[in-house]
Amino acid sequence: MRTQNATAYRFLTPYLLVFAIFWIWPIISSFLISFQATRTVPWRFAPTFNWGRLVGDPAFYNALKNTLLILVIQVPVMIALAIVMAVLLNSPLLKARGLYRFAFFAPVVVGEVAYSAVFRLMFSLDFGIINKLLESVGLEKIDWFSNVTPAMAVIMIAVTWRWAGYNAIIILAGLQSIPEDVYEAATLDRVSKLKQFFYITLPLLKPVIVFCAVLSIIGTMQLFTEPFLITERGGPGGGTETLGLLLYRQGFRSLNFGYASAVAYTMAGLAIAITLVQLWLTREPK
Amino acid sequence: MAAVTLTNVIKRFGNFEVVHGANIDVADGEFVVFVGPSGCGKSTLLRMIAGLEDISGGDIAIGGKVMNDVEAADRGIAMVFQSYALYPHMTVEQNLSFGLRMNGNPKADTERRVKRAAEILRIDELMQRRPKQLSGGQRQRVAIGRAIVREPQVFLFDEPLSNLDAELRVQMRVEISRLHKELGVTMIYVTHDQTEAMTLADRIVVLKAGNVEQIGAPLDLYDDPANRFVAGFIGSPKMNFLKANVVETSNSAAIIELVNHGGARLRKPLSEAFPAVGAEVVLGVRPEHFFEAGEGDCDIPVKADVAEHLGSVSYVYANAGPEELIIEREASRQRASGDHFTVSIKAERALLFDKAGARIR
Ligand SMILES: Nc1ncnc2c1ncn2[C@@H]1O[C@H](COP(=O)(O)OP(=O)(O)OP(=O)(O)O)[C@@H](O)[C@H]1O
Ligand SMILES: [Mg+2]
Repeated sequence: MRTQNATAYRFLTPYLLVFAIFWIWPIISSFLISFQATRTVPWRFAPTFNWGRLVGDPAFYNALKNTLLILVIQVPVMIALAIVMAVLLNSPLLKARGLYRFAFFAPVVVGEVAYSAVFRLMFSLDFGIINKLLESVGLEKIDWFSNVTPAMAVIMIAVTWRWAGYNAIIILAGLQSIPEDVYEAATLDRVSKLKQFFYITLPLLKPVIVFCAVLSIIGTMQLFTEPFLITERGGPGGGTETLGLLLYRQGFRSLNFGYASAVAYTMAGLAIAITLVQLWLTREPK
Repeated sequence: MAAVTLTNVIKRFGNFEVVHGANIDVADGEFVVFVGPSGCGKSTLLRMIAGLEDISGGDIAIGGKVMNDVEAADRGIAMVFQSYALYPHMTVEQNLSFGLRMNGNPKADTERRVKRAAEILRIDELMQRRPKQLSGGQRQRVAIGRAIVREPQVFLFDEPLSNLDAELRVQMRVEISRLHKELGVTMIYVTHDQTEAMTLADRIVVLKAGNVEQIGAPLDLYDDPANRFVAGFIGSPKMNFLKANVVETSNSAAIIELVNHGGARLRKPLSEAFPAVGAEVVLGVRPEHFFEAGEGDCDIPVKADVAEHLGSVSYVYANAGPEELIIEREASRQRASGDHFTVSIKAERALLFDKAGARIR
């Protein structure tokens, strides 16, 4: 037994080594770096240098505000949309189910850069299809990328477009695990379809929905691609800068690794905290 | 309370017809069991009565009112599902009261009904548990409780005991029987287990491939089956079927020769129909209707293959030629495998079927 284990570990060593060097070590290292002043050579240990700056940095609060704003609006809307999509996908009336399932899932597979480019184009002031549509129904066209509110909206729409189908597929799997006869029993109990949805489907889907919400929260906390590419590095004027973008700006443009590390740990800490609150709020009653 | 009447009921799934014109009358307060092999359409019939499945043809009436286009919830029925179909996220109490609460039933009345159902089924102790925390038998009780709470005119059961172990099955069988006496309402019960059918039913409906083969009281079906299928399906162990040829007919009997038993002959008195000489027929003999040599009208020698001693009864599986016979006799107790012995068939204790399986009386 013992020699077997030893052999197993010998085989695992290459992987564990790579894992330690490229995964464990950066995590530890960035934690340590966050306590160092990295704008001076050599770096020196200064526990409050970055963290102190973080607490008083308006750019950080701006990024935090933007990230949380996207989080509280986009995630619930997307999950609600995903539930509706899943219910529709699960409908026995639906023809060509496989096609829809693929179509809903497809956005995840599209390259991030390509999809961002398309969204930029769609919302472009003079050539975008969205403004053309608005004008065709007699509305004013919107300058999406010059004002903060519409720019935020574009980001939320883009993220929702990309991930709603993915979540819908996960929720669909949950829906399909609810046995049909439970609904039949409810039908015999004279419970309307709508009430069945709220009193049976939703409660039974809760674990799946929580799972999707947690994934989405973690994803949105790290939001980077969309504000980087679609609203051009958090524009207009930092109005859509997220924590992920702030981290990138500090770390890789200003080469201030200490501060970037502190931001990174804040993001991770927040994601964990929000997830825990979420899990606690939706815990199974004993 | 209400009678249930099925008139020429047909069910098609697409172009595939699975119930071919069923005519069934269930009297008010009667306990009727639908029995038949897997896939014969029992559940489909029940679900049509419940309103969970559309009716492709014919009429279903409950309490004299045609229900074809009436919503399931308005038919005055309650159904107990094979898989229980309890609401997994609700406690037993919530499971029982859910339907009433959703429909704005007065709280006091809901409580009264739930309490009564819990008492009848003795599940008072379990009210705060969730289905996950219950045993199979307890879940089944809750499922029945949910039906009782609705105070229906007709109870429908779809194989409610098939997920329980043998002992619990017997126990719940007795409970359902008791429940029927206590509530006095119409019950329609689906099973593929003929023992359940025999023990529970006032009347049994035997189904085969979407056709009603026979309807009758349990012992009537046992003693006087309309055809070979019913004869074989009702009764355990199964009836023995012996191939035979008609060698002679008179105006009151046919003489048949058992082809697999050395040409043994039996004179079978008949009153209604007389098969042609030379016709192939089948003689049906129940395991307990083999007598000692000389006691009956026709002796056949057999060789015991396997002897099963269950204590109260013993069965001998006798491999006589190509036909295996199951023999249940007091004397079977002494038999061991390999024994050669002779059994006897009495004409009045044997049934005659034609080649197609119809009864010849
Ligand atoms: N939704 C459906 N679509 C198509 N065919 C169906 C459907 N439901 C049942 N059938 C067919 O109808 C026939 C009768 O089915 P049913 O479920 O009534 O059988 P059953 O007698 O209850 O059998 P079991 O004892 O296995 O439960 C079967 O041939 C089955 O394949
Ligand atoms: Mg069935």
